[in-house]
Amino acid sequence: MEQENLVVQMKGISKVYPNGIAANRDVNFTLRRGEIHAIMGENGAGKSTLMKILFGLEQPTSGEILVNGEPVVINSPNKAISLGIGMVHQHFMLVPSLTVAENIVLGMAPTKSRVFVDYKKAVEIAEENATRFNLRIDPNAKVVDIPVGMKQKVEILKALVRGAKILILDEPTAVLTTQETSELFKELISLKEQGFTIVFISHKLKEIKQITDRLTIMRNGKSMGVYETASISEEEISRLMVGRDVVLEVIKDKAQPSETVLKVRDLEYTDRWNKKMLDKVSFSVRKGEILGIAGVEGNGQRELVEMLFNLNVPDAGTVYANGKSLIGMPQNIIRDQGVSLVPEDRMTYGIADIASIEENVISDRFGEKRFNRGPLFNMREIHQESETLIVDYRILAKSRKQQVKMLSGGNIQKVVVARELSSQPTLLIADQPTRGIDVGATEFIRNQIVELSRNGSGVLLVSADLNEVIELSDSLIVMYGGKIVAYFEDTDQLDDITMGEYMLGLKHQTEEEIAKVCYE
Amino acid sequence: MSSDRRLLLFNLLRGAAAIFLALLVATALIFLSSKEPLTALKYLLLGPVISFKSTGMVFNTVSFLTILAAMTPTIFSGLAVCVMFSASQFNLGGEGVIMLGGFVGALLGIYLKLNTGLHQVVCILAAAVVGGLVMLIPALLKVKLGASEMVTSLMMNYIIMFIILHFLNFTFADRSKGATQSFPFEATAKIPEIVSNGTKLTWGLVIALIFVVIIALFMYRTKWGYAIRMVGINQSFAQYSGIQVGMIIVLSQVIGGMLSGIGGSIEMLGRYNTFLWRELPGYGWIGITVAILAKNNPIFVPLAALFIAYLDKGCQLMSINSDVPFEMIDIIQAAIFLFFAAEQFLAKYRQRIVVRNAQRDLALQEAAVSREGKLS
Ligand SMILES: Nc1ncnc2c1ncn2[C@@H]1O[C@H](COP(=O)(O)OP(=O)(O)OP(=O)(O)O)[C@@H](O)[C@H]1O
Ligand SMILES: [Mg+2]
Repeated sequence: MEQENLVVQMKGISKVYPNGIAANRDVNFTLRRGEIHAIMGENGAGKSTLMKILFGLEQPTSGEILVNGEPVVINSPNKAISLGIGMVHQHFMLVPSLTVAENIVLGMAPTKSRVFVDYKKAVEIAEENATRFNLRIDPNAKVVDIPVGMKQKVEILKALVRGAKILILDEPTAVLTTQETSELFKELISLKEQGFTIVFISHKLKEIKQITDRLTIMRNGKSMGVYETASISEEEISRLMVGRDVVLEVIKDKAQPSETVLKVRDLEYTDRWNKKMLDKVSFSVRKGEILGIAGVEGNGQRELVEMLFNLNVPDAGTVYANGKSLIGMPQNIIRDQGVSLVPEDRMTYGIADIASIEENVISDRFGEKRFNRGPLFNMREIHQESETLIVDYRILAKSRKQQVKMLSGGNIQKVVVARELSSQPTLLIADQPTRGIDVGATEFIRNQIVELSRNGSGVLLVSADLNEVIELSDSLIVMYGGKIVAYFEDTDQLDDITMGEYMLGLKHQTEEEIAKVCYE
Repeated sequence: MSSDRRLLLFNLLRGAAAIFLALLVATALIFLSSKEPLTALKYLLLGPVISFKSTGMVFNTVSFLTILAAMTPTIFSGLAVCVMFSASQFNLGGEGVIMLGGFVGALLGIYLKLNTGLHQVVCILAAAVVGGLVMLIPALLKVKLGASEMVTSLMMNYIIMFIILHFLNFTFADRSKGATQSFPFEATAKIPEIVSNGTKLTWGLVIALIFVVIIALFMYRTKWGYAIRMVGINQSFAQYSGIQVGMIIVLSQVIGGMLSGIGGSIEMLGRYNTFLWRELPGYGWIGITVAILAKNNPIFVPLAALFIAYLDKGCQLMSINSDVPFEMIDIIQAAIFLFFAAEQFLAKYRQRIVVRNAQRDLALQEAAVSREGKLS
């Protein structure tokens, strides 16, 4: 009886990667039909690896897999798909130059009558499934132009369209806002009721408690056991994961803002679909404070950050950092002004994937005197710098020479954060700084950000995680429809509900109230 | 530690195995197509370094030195391609720039009057400068207008060739000769042989090897080389990091041009007495092969160049002494590329080494942990 319910059994799975890292060690994992099953564990614990094995992307070094009671060898994602297993990866696997619809039908078995799925049909399929599963997408937009939130939905649709009955979601909520997350959860629950089985990887304890039935905890490549979600407390989970108690509360004294480091005035930007993404956006960031930007993804935050770092050019408006205009300035000049950026999309801007950790952490400072001796690099200094950052930021790696693409998702993020936070910026722009990072390391990074600001840097924090913006920011602005709709000088009294109203555009402050965020 | 070394050894062996398998494919083809397969194979594999006399086989020093001599220009073109490809600049202009470098070197070798020593240096430097300047064309077109450097540099090869031919025909030709060629170079400009035995193995090879070291250092131990590689891996990342991407794209191609120019002039002043190239010399294309075999790593360029030179000579001898055509070299090269490119080639064996190492490491770790536990 029990056996029949198990759609997936993974027994004694071990995986040694070609670089010698033992990512899974004798792991047992089972899935019951129609359950939502969480996998939890620190960055690099082996969660993604285990799921890549189930999806046929990696081959186990030893161990066996049973699907619906039958022993199977899953040697390719195609095999997995034919077994009804679909996966949404931690990092997007979409073709940026194709449209959403094309991505959704990409590589699907052509019908007998024709070899190519024609475009109209693709759009039809995309739209039909989008409505059926209630995932809002724009089928005609090119993937390169859509925000991460939508990319996530496209990935989920891709799996569903292929007939997945078992859906593996590797950190799907890392990129979503609170609203989007609860939207997704409603969907997942309705999928579950329709008999879908879902694997859900996340670092957010609350989400796990809220939505999953059972959970498997991993640590250091091993399974620490399977638990009924209802019967285990958040504290216990984090103790099993980390081996110690974790406090996710940020302890910080009151901000003492001084002069302004960043002055943004009347920024305007209309994107190529004629949508006004930034509408007269004006604000200031002062030294010694953390200014948060809250808002549902796609309300201009992404564009705003791009403008601040000249990754895109506004139609009108000004941006000054330390009195120097940044618009149209090459990034080396922007960085010379002491501006650093943790980008939202770590794989595009944040890293050079086949370069080593060392090469990645020095990319903004390799020209400095201390790293050069005459025409040559001073390798000893460079080694020291990277070793220090690896230790300080707890990057789990075999050595500084390891390729960044061979790190776990959270550890890749740590590489980016390590570089950007350690450059002693006068202005740090942190866009989703703790995305995909486990609780222990999140605690550490948040404290680093607070410390930076208390030592006199200005911090502009953008985060889809409402909790994070409220907790971490000293003051906060809310963006909706490309506009700043609210400014809170003090975040102490704020709660999700009020914030939610502003974020959904149900409420906005008067112009005078908002204008207070413009310090000279 | 020893495990790392074992993996390095594995990678070298893997390269050797790829070559070996490619030769097996060639052997099979030769057996299929030739009436005298053994003779053909003998000349292909051993011919370059061994001469077959009625009295037996003897090591053929002269032939071996000729092979070394043939490496000189391809080391330079290989290095040039390494630098440009590392920045993801698929510039194919090496071919034309080598010819141009040879032409510039030749002209200065003919018309300048300088002391030997200085004369060669001036010729080579001038070729380097001209080579670098010419590569500015595809580089700037790329940076300013977004034109594909692959297309522009490819077309540039022919433009360069015809311009050279024009000047050779109408301005610099030695009319006393039947063929179109320049006047002879001054003796002061010639790059001397290392051993004067007619193999034309000149000090150019030594200069080439010095450049291998310089370029390897440049790519892996300087900020410019670093920037070039980062631009090559992820341009958005490089830009965001504050690297001046446009400048680096230009720099990589200018350096590629300089190396090509140097290679062309050294080849010309070392192995010729007059300028008589009537068409593109082909070293640029070989340079691409060399760079691919060397996986864009300058240190491996001499090995790759040696291998290609050896293979070239072997195929030549085979086509002279048997019924197998010279074109066999293309098939062998293609086969080697296939095996080289196949990442999964021999992956099972590699994985076995890795797993064994990992298991040992884990066991050691666990032993250490339990020891610590006992101590405390
Ligand atoms: N392709 C790869 N090659 C080599 N090592 C890898 C590769 N992918 C992952 N690893 C290593 O395997 C270990 C487990 O990685 P995995 O991606 O499974 O972690 P994870 O639990 O998903 O972590 P995160 O929460 O950060 O996503 C890490 O130490 C990582 O460095
Ligand atoms: Mg992961």
